[in-house]
Amino acid sequence: MIQSVEGYLEALKAELKNSDVATVQDALGDAEEHLRAALASLREERPGMPEEELLARVIEQYGSPEETASAYREVERRTTPQLAKENQLSGSALSRFFSVYADPRAWGALLYMLIAFATGVVYFTWAITGLSLSVSFVIFIFGFPFAILFLLSVRGLILIEGRLVEALLGVRMPRRPLFTEKNLKWIERLKQLVTDLRTWLSILYMIIQFVLGTVYFVLIVTVLSFSFASIAVPFVQEILNQAPIQMYGARYYVPTWSYPLFVFGGFLLWTMFMNIARWIGQQHGRMAKALLVTE
Amino acid sequence: MVDSSPVTKKFQKEMNAGIASLVLLSVLEKSSEPMYGYQIAKLLEEYSGDTAFMKQGALYPVLHSLENSGLLESRVEPSVSGPPRRYYEITPEGRATLVTWQGMWKQMKSFVDRAVKGG
Repeated sequence: MIQSVEGYLEALKAELKNSDVATVQDALGDAEEHLRAALASLREERPGMPEEELLARVIEQYGSPEETASAYREVERRTTPQLAKENQLSGSALSRFFSVYADPRAWGALLYMLIAFATGVVYFTWAITGLSLSVSFVIFIFGFPFAILFLLSVRGLILIEGRLVEALLGVRMPRRPLFTEKNLKWIERLKQLVTDLRTWLSILYMIIQFVLGTVYFVLIVTVLSFSFASIAVPFVQEILNQAPIQMYGARYYVPTWSYPLFVFGGFLLWTMFMNIARWIGQQHGRMAKALLVTE
Repeated sequence: MVDSSPVTKKFQKEMNAGIASLVLLSVLEKSSEPMYGYQIAKLLEEYSGDTAFMKQGALYPVLHSLENSGLLESRVEPSVSGPPRRYYEITPEGRATLVTWQGMWKQMKSFVDRAVKGG
C-alpha cells in the first residue's frame, strides 16, 4: 500500500529501473505534477476524507506504478529506433569507433560471419547435389517428385536462413514460408517452382554463401590471430621467455619500450575489425533481403 | 472496463494506443489556452463519464511522444502550489495532422461499425 506521493515515485522509479534515464525523469516529473494536483483538488472536494484514502483514489485513477511504467515503456519501445539513430550519430568519431564494443549489431555480425562458414558449406553441398541429381533423375519416373522435394527443401532452408539473418543482422526477413498452392498436379507444381524467380535467386544465395562464408571465416581467424598475437607479445617475451617472432630458425626479440605499442596495436586492429564486421553484416543483410525477399 | 480478463485488457491497451493521440490532439485543438496534464485528465474524465477508458498516467507518455513528433509544444511554468506544471499547446503542424486524423477516424469508425454489425 502506497502511503505518500514520494512512496509512489519510489515505486515507479523501481519499476522503470531498466529504462532510459530520460524516460525515468519524464515519468517521475509527470507523476509528481499530476498526483499533487489531483490530491489538492480532491482534498477541496471532500474535506473530511482521510489523506490515505484520498491518495488511494488518486492513484486508482492515475494507474498503479506498474501500469504507469508499462505505459512509458510501451511508448519508449515504439520510438526507440529514432533514438538509436540519433545516438549513433552523436559523439565524436573516436568515441563512435570504440563504442563498437557496446553495439549488439557488431557482435551479431561477428557471430553471423562465423556461422556463415558452416551454413555456407551445408547450403552449397545441398544446392549442388540437389541440382545435379534433379537434372539427371529427370529421365526416371521418380525424377519429378525428387526435383519438387529438392526445390521445396530450398525454400525451407532459406526460411531458416532468413531467421538467422534477422536475429543476428537485424534485417527484417519473412517469418512465414512462401505460400504454395495445394491440390496441384506434380508436374504443374514443378513447373511453378521452376518458373519462380525466387527459387533460382535462393539457390544462387546458397552458392554465394559458401564463398562469402569462407572469406568471412578466414578474415575473422586471421585478424583475431594477429590481434591476439600482438597483444600477447609482452607475455610471450617476459613470462614464457620465448621470442615473439621466429623465422627460419632465427629468433627475433622486440625491445621493451615497444610493448605498449604491440598491445595497443593489437587492440586497435581488433576494434577496427569489429567496425568492419558491423559494416559487412549490414551489407550481407541487404544482399540477403535483395536476393531472398523479392516480389 | 467491466471485464478485466487479460485478453480484454490487452485489447483495450492496443485500442488505446492509437486513439489516445487523436483524443489528446483534439482536446488541445479545442482548448483556447495551453493545458497541463491534470487539466486534460480532468476534462477526459468528464467526457468518459463513469467508465474510465484509460489510466490517467498513460496519457503523459503519449503527450511526450506527440511533442517529440512536433505536433505539440510545451513549456514549464511554476504553479502556486506544488511542483511546476508543464503546459501543452498544439502546433500548426499538429492542427494540420489532426485534420487528416479526423478524416481517418471517421472512415475507420464507419468501417468498424459496419464490420461489427455485419452488413
